[in-house]
Amino acid sequence: MTNSFMSNRRDAIKAMLAISAAGALAACKAGGEANDAAQPRGLVGGPKLTASEMALVGALAQTIIPKTETAGAVEAGVPAVLQTLFTEWGDDNYRMYWREGLKNLEQHFLQTGGQNFAKMVPSQQANLLGKYDAKAYAESGFDNFYKDMKSTIATAYYMSEPGATEELAYEPVPGEFKGCVPLSDQPKTWAT
Amino acid sequence: MADFDVIVVGSGMSGGWVAKELCERGFKVAVIERGRQITPEKDYTDMVDPWDTPNLDRTSDEDKAKHPIQHTVYAFNQNTKQYWVDDNKHPYEVADGTSYGWLRGYQTGGRSIMWGRQSYRMSEIDFEANKKDGHGVDWPVRYKDIEPWYDKVEYFAGISGSEEGLDILPDGVFQPPHELTCAELEFKARVEAKFPGRKVIPGRVANLTKPTPEQIALGRGQCQARDLCYRGCSFGAYFNSNVATLPAAKRTGNLTMITDTAVLKVDHDMETGRATGVQTINVNTKEKKTITARVVFLNASTIATTMILLNSAHEGAPNGLANSSGQLGKNLMDHVAGAGAAATMPGFEDKYHYGKRPNGFYIPRFRNHTEESTDSVRGYGYQGRIYRETWQSNVGQSGIGEDYKDANRKPGPWSVGIVAFCEILPDERNTVTLHPTKKDEWGMPIPVINQKHRENEVALMKHATRDTKAMLEAAGMIVHYTDNPDDITAENMSAPGRGIHEMGTARMGRDPKTSVLNQWNQSWDVENLFITDGSFMTSGGCQNPSITYMAFSARAADYAAKLMESGKL
Repeated sequence: MTNSFMSNRRDAIKAMLAISAAGALAACKAGGEANDAAQPRGLVGGPKLTASEMALVGALAQTIIPKTETAGAVEAGVPAVLQTLFTEWGDDNYRMYWREGLKNLEQHFLQTGGQNFAKMVPSQQANLLGKYDAKAYAESGFDNFYKDMKSTIATAYYMSEPGATEELAYEPVPGEFKGCVPLSDQPKTWAT
Repeated sequence: MADFDVIVVGSGMSGGWVAKELCERGFKVAVIERGRQITPEKDYTDMVDPWDTPNLDRTSDEDKAKHPIQHTVYAFNQNTKQYWVDDNKHPYEVADGTSYGWLRGYQTGGRSIMWGRQSYRMSEIDFEANKKDGHGVDWPVRYKDIEPWYDKVEYFAGISGSEEGLDILPDGVFQPPHELTCAELEFKARVEAKFPGRKVIPGRVANLTKPTPEQIALGRGQCQARDLCYRGCSFGAYFNSNVATLPAAKRTGNLTMITDTAVLKVDHDMETGRATGVQTINVNTKEKKTITARVVFLNASTIATTMILLNSAHEGAPNGLANSSGQLGKNLMDHVAGAGAAATMPGFEDKYHYGKRPNGFYIPRFRNHTEESTDSVRGYGYQGRIYRETWQSNVGQSGIGEDYKDANRKPGPWSVGIVAFCEILPDERNTVTLHPTKKDEWGMPIPVINQKHRENEVALMKHATRDTKAMLEAAGMIVHYTDNPDDITAENMSAPGRGIHEMGTARMGRDPKTSVLNQWNQSWDVENLFITDGSFMTSGGCQNPSITYMAFSARAADYAAKLMESGKL
């Protein structure tokens, strides 16, 4: 099943829903722009991550999920999702947890790499973060924040439009269920 | 002259059926619903993509403050939270030393919007159970009395399932079953080979796999295999009141929907012995009104129906209306879920599934049926599914960069989700009463719920836990986790109510001294009062009960219609 077939089918379904006047609302919402999730929404909550914190978050996210044939975390709008979580969803404890966690990471990479993580070249970022990551999963309690942050970054990526529809396979309206098909027909994991 | 022929209190699973049946017989019916009108265009969220779901679908502090109890439901998320009640506005208390999860939604359709849709008939074995083992009272009906009504409601609702010829789980009127996955087929073959008394079958679920002309005429369509049912379905592909029974009632021209209106009491005329109508309050304006009818059906859900009748007490019915037996509010039941596991099935790496099935497999009851025990009665059925793990189970693993991306993109091992639903015995000690002083903002006394798991439930759950492990092992699965049966206690099992199958507090029976309702779901005391929500259940079986509520609702509505047509009511 080709991508264009899938998206045509989906557009047709959305158009069908839009036939009922108010249904258009749901259809428009479902068809939001690619980088909707990348835009901070209103930021009505607490304080934001600062520019330098955001630079670190962006560099960490892009090192964890780099651009390949598909979008990396930054192209997928992951840092903005993290900013929204920080500002609108989180409480003061959550914000303190992130601030402290990011500060520790920044200091670690200053010590091991001699400069801010965000300013390093990608190969150095990958090298240093790879070592840190291995240690974080090998040593229990070494840095739980890092593991939380990584899961959050990955979740934001695979729930983003490029993450779900390009990196993974996303079929919002499959039409029918087939219990056992060859994996070669579908070599990527389903996004949902 | 009464305002209506019939008042139906509640528009959910059972109330929708009563309204449909009686409207179609030509009676003027008012459905009184305390919640708001659901409008699919506004309320349904099934077209919201992951990237438009706020905050990575995480429950917020605000959600937790508004829904301290409801937010713990598996079907509560950022796209479904609009269907679950604000716990602060709808308080209840539990007896000391007990815990109870009262999980509910107030809107047209009630919980038929968010139900799990699993639809299993009760069998002759269930209807005979109380008489045989002495728990509760004997059902006043047997399977043959209900069978034609199951046929009727299944045909209209649309149930997908397979014919299996099992006495414990009678076949019904089915649309084609969902396929099992490769791993589930292997599980089925190996479990059935090792345990000849056990069957693994496709779940029976109220999703249309081959809609009938009648269903299409109501605007309902085929299931699109999205497994987003809890958000509401733009295709009308699963049964709920809003897409099925209420539209059918409405097209007769005989239905009046009264939403945002709670019922406080049933009015009772002591001279005639009949109900004359209900006292209502508009939940927004607090305006009170009396609405009258020849016949009253209570379908407010088990606990709410009990509250209304207890609150209808007067000098002629001091213990609550329709409660000369003293049984009203007793015998509260549920199904208790447990015996879960984490296990993976090796192999089938070159296979996958397409689409998302809103369903799984089912293992009908075998305990104390094909396989006896010495320490328990009744039994349990299992629901489960074996799917390949997705990125979600890999993102917490070590790794960064392209390797991490590759690992997340690859489907993981075939992994089981399984849960047993155990029958809970009717027991007079499990009760719903009204708080002596505390009231909600509409002046209704709040309920006090007192239910505990007891010896039989614990014994069953221990068996279920052992059986889970044995079946996973028989299937050649790698078992990562099961509960330890020796650790299971009444207190650490899933709390009563959390099965979301509360029932039994106005039971049917053969004797007015020991039951609230007769064999027609009709009050022994008040002849024009009927109850067809879960309160009527004399025992619970272990089957998901909604299809049984539907069948009894249609049957009771037919009986009431005949009494009205002949002038007796």
